[in-house]
Amino acid sequence: MSGPGIASYLIVSVVLFAIGAFGVLVRRSPLIVLLALELMLNAGNLALIAFARQTGTEDGQIFALAVMVVAASEAVVGLGFIVAMSRLKADLDVDKLTSLRG
Amino acid sequence: MTAAAWICLFAPAAAVLAIALAGDRITRRQAGYLAAGSTFVSFVCAVVCFVLLLGKDPDARSESSTLWTWLSAGDLRFGFTVLVDPLSVFMMLVVSGVGFLILTYAIGYMAGDVEERRYHAYKALFVFSMLLLVQAGNLLLLLAGWGMVGLSSYLLINFWHQRETAVAAGKKAFVMNAIGDATFALALFILIQKTGSLDFGTVFSKADEALGGQSSTLAVLVALGLLGGAVAKSAQIPLHTWLPDAMEGPTPVSALIHAATMVTAGVYLIARTNPLFELAPAIQDLAGILGGVTIVFAGLVALVQTDIKRVIAYSTMSQIGYMFVGVGLGAYGSGLFHLMTHAFFKALLFMAAGVVIHALAGEQDIRKMGGLGRELPWTTRLFVIGALALAAIPPFAGFFSKDSILASAVEAGTLGWILWGVAVVGAFLTALYTFRLVFIVFGRDTHPRPETRAEIHKERWEGPVVMMWPVAVLAVLSIVGGFIQVPTLWDLVNEWIDPVAESIDEASGALALFSTLVALAVALLGVWLAAELYRRPSERPERIRARLPRTTRALEHKLYFDEVYDATFYEPSVETAVFLKDNVEDPFVLALPGELGGATRRSSTRVAGLQTGAVRLYVLAVALGLAALAVAFLIAS
Repeated sequence: MSGPGIASYLIVSVVLFAIGAFGVLVRRSPLIVLLALELMLNAGNLALIAFARQTGTEDGQIFALAVMVVAASEAVVGLGFIVAMSRLKADLDVDKLTSLRG
Repeated sequence: MTAAAWICLFAPAAAVLAIALAGDRITRRQAGYLAAGSTFVSFVCAVVCFVLLLGKDPDARSESSTLWTWLSAGDLRFGFTVLVDPLSVFMMLVVSGVGFLILTYAIGYMAGDVEERRYHAYKALFVFSMLLLVQAGNLLLLLAGWGMVGLSSYLLINFWHQRETAVAAGKKAFVMNAIGDATFALALFILIQKTGSLDFGTVFSKADEALGGQSSTLAVLVALGLLGGAVAKSAQIPLHTWLPDAMEGPTPVSALIHAATMVTAGVYLIARTNPLFELAPAIQDLAGILGGVTIVFAGLVALVQTDIKRVIAYSTMSQIGYMFVGVGLGAYGSGLFHLMTHAFFKALLFMAAGVVIHALAGEQDIRKMGGLGRELPWTTRLFVIGALALAAIPPFAGFFSKDSILASAVEAGTLGWILWGVAVVGAFLTALYTFRLVFIVFGRDTHPRPETRAEIHKERWEGPVVMMWPVAVLAVLSIVGGFIQVPTLWDLVNEWIDPVAESIDEASGALALFSTLVALAVALLGVWLAAELYRRPSERPERIRARLPRTTRALEHKLYFDEVYDATFYEPSVETAVFLKDNVEDPFVLALPGELGGATRRSSTRVAGLQTGAVRLYVLAVALGLAALAVAFLIAS
């Protein structure tokens, strides 16, 4: 088998994850936060697939599929919240959505 | 045949549902017709079962049917099973037949009550519960019916819930019955553990071996538990105090539940579980002895009561005492025969008394009655028929059934002879208090009070037709009902019951004649004495009371049973409760939570500050935490 080694894949994965985490931390729009979250999940997927290729087993691929399912569900729920919030004419700004304060 | 039995069981239940769901879409009277009609359906089905059973060989007269598995736990399976055999059909006939007459009477009696629909629904619920009790094919279902008749009795005793006394009476009945239910259930636990089943057939065939044979401790405990249930339900000493108070319920309730059917369930239970009682002869004797004590006790107390319904209630206790003597001595057929005739004449007496109470606008105090024979001639005749049957004057029904018990008692050894003597004393007392009632209420011409008569009856007959004809039917039954079993000639009841519960032999010949003549003589003596004392106004009853002040007072207090129970159970628990409140609850329990609650609230307010609601802060905390963990792992490795 030829092509780039495992390290290259992992570097891409780490870079993607860092971008995602940074996005979640600094952006205020819930929509962008969701996008960034998706980026983090897919970074994880990339690492899983890479490891699966290296070891020649399917476990990592199955995990990646499960993560996709979770990601899809999360997107549905998250987008549902965002639509509901905009219906209520709430500010779409995570710093202002603090009604769960104790 | 089992189909008929199922219809018999579920017809009243359907009526309950229909009345409850229909609400005010049906009139109150229609609700009454629905309840009575469903009971009539039950009666017809019971007759069908009876006829089909009659066509079979005596040994093959038993059939059971299971609709579904009602409860299952581990290896135990309890089916929703009905059993159709001579004993259950006998009880089905009595319950649904007399029940139908009383429910019809109630349509007239309760007319105009604001909560009439609820009343009729409860009444049908009672009939369903009672049929479940007598038709049940295993002891667990029997216990379920047992509990449900207690519930419907409770609901009906305090039907007039605005009356404080009625509510108290309902609670009392419930608590006293719960004691019996508990001992009953404990007996069932032993049976489940030892025989692994509660089906009649399995339990009875295995019991001897599983419980350790005749008179073993377990057999005695099982019989004692069952007897406890029977004694509470049938208002025998010492758990009898609820029955007189239960007279707070409407009169048809007293007639159906507290005279004709429910209170005789204890007799049915002993007859049904007779193989278990025969394993513990001492306990079976105890049943007879308790019955004997109750006969005399209730007869004496009835002599001084002044409430027309309470007199009849004490008489019910006393008559059930006779049935207990019968089944306690092993004369199951005689006991059940008396159960049947008693259902006829006691329901008759209660319902005739109900007509009187109606006519006097709710007055129940016999001291305010008198001379009613002229005002209510038909009611008087009906009441006197019931009284003659109760006092066991031939040819009325009570004579034959009481005679049958007495004739069995003389064949049952020493205990039998003792109980025979007690029963003869009871027969005298029965005749005396019954005819005291008759003479005071109907005979004496001193206090006719036509002005207290209720308006409704003035233009009509003594009562509405719907009330009067069931009473008349019961009067006919009280006259002819006794002839189905005439000692030494034929004994149809014994023959019928024998496949389920084999009775001991009755005396015959000279011995039987002797027993009959003695019983008849004392009954006539009682009637004569009552006539002497109460036929016309006289000072003699008062003089007797004055000469025996202590006895009179003791009897008026019903021999202080209520007072003793109050002093031993009620007052100590109240005192304990007050003591605990003053010394434990107020200083510790109530003070502590105040302090605890305050401290918890203060500390939680501080912790709640951490919850800012800002999502990004949380994310940052998570990220930093993860980073810290990652660093820690790297250093560790």
